[in-house]
Amino acid sequence: MLIAAGACLGARSVVLGGVTTLDRRTLLATGTAGAATLAVAAHLDGPATAAGPTASERAGRGVFRHGVASGDPLPDAVLVWTRVTPTAASLPGSGRGPRVEVRWELATDPGFRRVVRRGTFQTGPSRDHTVKVDVTGLAPATWYHYRFRYDGVLSPVGRARTAPATDASPDHLRFGVVSCANLQAGWFSAYRGLAERDDLHAVLHLGDYLYEYGPGQYGYGIDDRDIRPHQPAHEMVTLADYRQRHAQYKEDPDLQALHAKYPWIVTWDDHEVANDAYRDGGENHDPDRGEGDFHLRRARAHRAYDEWMPVRLDGTARLRDGDRLFRRLRFGRLAEISMLDLRSYRDQQVASPLPSPVPAPEAGVSDPDRTITGRQQLDWLKGSLSRGRAQWKIIGNPVMIAPVDFGALPQDLVDPVNDVTGLLPRDGLPYNVDQWDGYTDDRREVFAHLRDHQVSDALFVTGDIHSGWACELPYDASTYPVGDSAGVEFVCSSVTSNNLKDITGTPPHTTSTAVEETIKANNRHIKYLNFDDHGFSVLDVTPLRAQMDWYVIGDRADRDTPITWSVSYATRTGTGRVEQVQEPV
Amino acid sequence: MSGPVAAGRRTFLKAGAAGLVFSTVAGAPALAAGGRSRRRAYVLVVDGCRPDEIDSGLTPNLAALRDGGLRFPQASSMPVMETIPNHVMMMTGLRPDRTGVPANSVYDRDLGEVRDLDRPSDIRCGTLLGRLNRRGLTTGTVLSKTYLYGVFGDRATHRWEPSPTLPVSEHAPDAVTIDAAITMLEELDPNLMFVNLGDIDRFGHADLTGTTLRVARRLALADTDLQVQRFLDALTAQGLWEHSMVIVLADHSMDWSTPDRLIGLTGPLAADPLLAGRVRIADNGGADLLYWTGPAAQRAEAIERMRTVARAQEGVLAAYPRTAPWLRLGPEAGDVVVFCRAGWRFSDPDPMANPIPGNHGHPATRSIPFFIGGGHADVPRRATSSRVARTIDVAPTVAGFFGAGAPRGGYDGRNLL
Repeated sequence: MLIAAGACLGARSVVLGGVTTLDRRTLLATGTAGAATLAVAAHLDGPATAAGPTASERAGRGVFRHGVASGDPLPDAVLVWTRVTPTAASLPGSGRGPRVEVRWELATDPGFRRVVRRGTFQTGPSRDHTVKVDVTGLAPATWYHYRFRYDGVLSPVGRARTAPATDASPDHLRFGVVSCANLQAGWFSAYRGLAERDDLHAVLHLGDYLYEYGPGQYGYGIDDRDIRPHQPAHEMVTLADYRQRHAQYKEDPDLQALHAKYPWIVTWDDHEVANDAYRDGGENHDPDRGEGDFHLRRARAHRAYDEWMPVRLDGTARLRDGDRLFRRLRFGRLAEISMLDLRSYRDQQVASPLPSPVPAPEAGVSDPDRTITGRQQLDWLKGSLSRGRAQWKIIGNPVMIAPVDFGALPQDLVDPVNDVTGLLPRDGLPYNVDQWDGYTDDRREVFAHLRDHQVSDALFVTGDIHSGWACELPYDASTYPVGDSAGVEFVCSSVTSNNLKDITGTPPHTTSTAVEETIKANNRHIKYLNFDDHGFSVLDVTPLRAQMDWYVIGDRADRDTPITWSVSYATRTGTGRVEQVQEPV
Repeated sequence: MSGPVAAGRRTFLKAGAAGLVFSTVAGAPALAAGGRSRRRAYVLVVDGCRPDEIDSGLTPNLAALRDGGLRFPQASSMPVMETIPNHVMMMTGLRPDRTGVPANSVYDRDLGEVRDLDRPSDIRCGTLLGRLNRRGLTTGTVLSKTYLYGVFGDRATHRWEPSPTLPVSEHAPDAVTIDAAITMLEELDPNLMFVNLGDIDRFGHADLTGTTLRVARRLALADTDLQVQRFLDALTAQGLWEHSMVIVLADHSMDWSTPDRLIGLTGPLAADPLLAGRVRIADNGGADLLYWTGPAAQRAEAIERMRTVARAQEGVLAAYPRTAPWLRLGPEAGDVVVFCRAGWRFSDPDPMANPIPGNHGHPATRSIPFFIGGGHADVPRRATSSRVARTIDVAPTVAGFFGAGAPRGGYDGRNLL
């Protein structure tokens, strides 16, 4: 995304009288912005399937060095993943190594005494030696344990929980919520914090699982110091680059621990391909600098994502059968999660003569011919937001949907003016045109749908912006709180990616506090805003309310940094409003 | 004070200093309490209430009753989201294609006129009231609106005639209605009492500040809340609370529009060569029912043309063929059902026909409060369910409470307990 820096720097120029012109490098630096039984187990021990080192030798070098993962839980299925390194040459992105057979098994107990499913999977260099199995025929709302075996070597044991039956009424659901994990910017302590919990059902990752930049391009703080330099040591562009970068991230111990602990439900934002990506390009894609055709680059990025992530693209675990990422996951009558893809189908962000911090005056943000979702996904989203589906309609939303504007006028005044002039953005001057604020007609269609059909308990859970937010979603922000709210949005902070204090180099609760108060004063529907901290969130949903707890970490550069609870907000069913609560779940 | 609508085999009871008029079926144990069961069920309809209004701070007693019992956040009125059909659905558990009552206002093809469905004969099926009566239980209706009093006719053991009623709104204020309900409780004590409280709806319809401050609406909410508490206090005073199940719900919610957001279909339909002079409209505020009156051979073509014309009008949300399976409205609803968007209303045949800012009938008015309280052991305590509750679920729930069976063909709703 382009503008978290926008908000930050926009306010910075106001509050500090500072930056008014920014080159591309500065935008990047400003970051947010720029963007079954032991016997059975023994039975699985078989002869090596490929010549070469002994089993013990392979184990020593880490056949399963990239860990295990699970994802996309359904009432009767869950996807399990690993990657094997069968020979020393079978490095990620190398295209080398033998085709091998990997065995997998899934049990109801961690000792694998009660194995309920097992099988074999063929992998090889064509898929970067990744293994991805959609295990079906499972019982709903059940914890399973899974592991893989190759050439006598057992993988770490992962666990996954299936979703409740479609007609079940669970008393609660609890999810970890994360986004924006830049390995160069620090340690993934947020992942550690979630992995240490035992009370979650799944983890929602809302995008920017990894970053495309090379070392020195986007790191820790205003100086872009690399706490852990990226591999390969350049911006990822080729298929091999994307594979190697995924592999590097998957070797992180905190990331591995969290993948092994819970099933993940993921979507991508821009950095899985390139900064500020849109349908036909991206801010950080330049064909003239040898980066080639954008669509080809994106196809490579999506292929690596499909290989390396525990997710069903186009509804399957198979590779190269499509890259549709938006999908629904039902959790009984209580909730349904609709994960969005807001990069693959969107039009290019509007260009503004002023740098991104400055509120954009372009009426183009309201052009009904521009889209952030694409027509098909928007119709699908409206289907997700329909009566008769689950109570809580949770939208896994890569970029913020709440209006964050300045100088908004009542819609009843703007519309007649635009009938004549077409000059005014319909919802005020947005500070970040990379969000739904840059595509207001799509947002209006979603909100109108909610209002026309009186759909309640729409809950957008969002990442991208490297800051924590709790917002109501007014039909008309200019007159709010007079008028109704379409729902609620909770935004998690970044795992490591730079936030306002990082990019300004100012102490916490100084510059950021002034910016936060300015934004809240101009947007009365925004009830909580934290530009200072990194961490994770926990979303707990009951029939009575949905609550988000924000946890913050200390210094990203400190691998053992402490983790503390920060604040909690909740929305009671049917209200579309948020309120602070005094303790986490 | 006028007497009851139908005399004949009836006795009359004048109860209370207010001169409340009740009618009671002849032969019924008029002053004997509650038939053969100690169980009591009360269905209180807070007409037109929106579910979020229970959280507005204006209705603390309703909120307390909701929070102490079983709550359904996903509750829904059924199409057409109007008063009469949803009250009929509550007391039958059946959809309009089985009750014969799809809307407040329909075009009566036999009479050749648009009229309200306010006649006892308009309900073409058995009701919960009759089923309980046949089991030796007693029933009572305390309905604030004259057309509800009309459509339910003499089906209940005891009936209160809404009076005095306010001009224009043709409903009795909630204070009077609750007076009647308490009097019926104290003197007749039926097993089932069906109560409609019309103030929230009526003040909502008339609230010129509905799109903004909702001043009149807020006043009504606060007062209705007090009236409901009076009734609950009376249950306790009569020693009935521990035997009681109290269902509180609305029949529909409410949406407001400004005078510049009117939809008129009369003109556009008249401008179409095929449709001109051959379509009648029954305006239900948020929904227009369109009736083809031309040759039957042209009906299919006319339906598609009506839908096309309607969808072209600003403010129209959707135009469905009445036979769309999910609507289940029956032939009384005509040929095409047109819904408006939130913040709009229909005004046919002319812009002056519907001057009221508050309307319902369209999907934006489907959400309703729905919760079950009471002291009976069958009522869950402090529970919330994600199941969808609907107005058609009232009858099977009450029937289940009394151990009464289902009608022939079964209920369309289901027992929520």
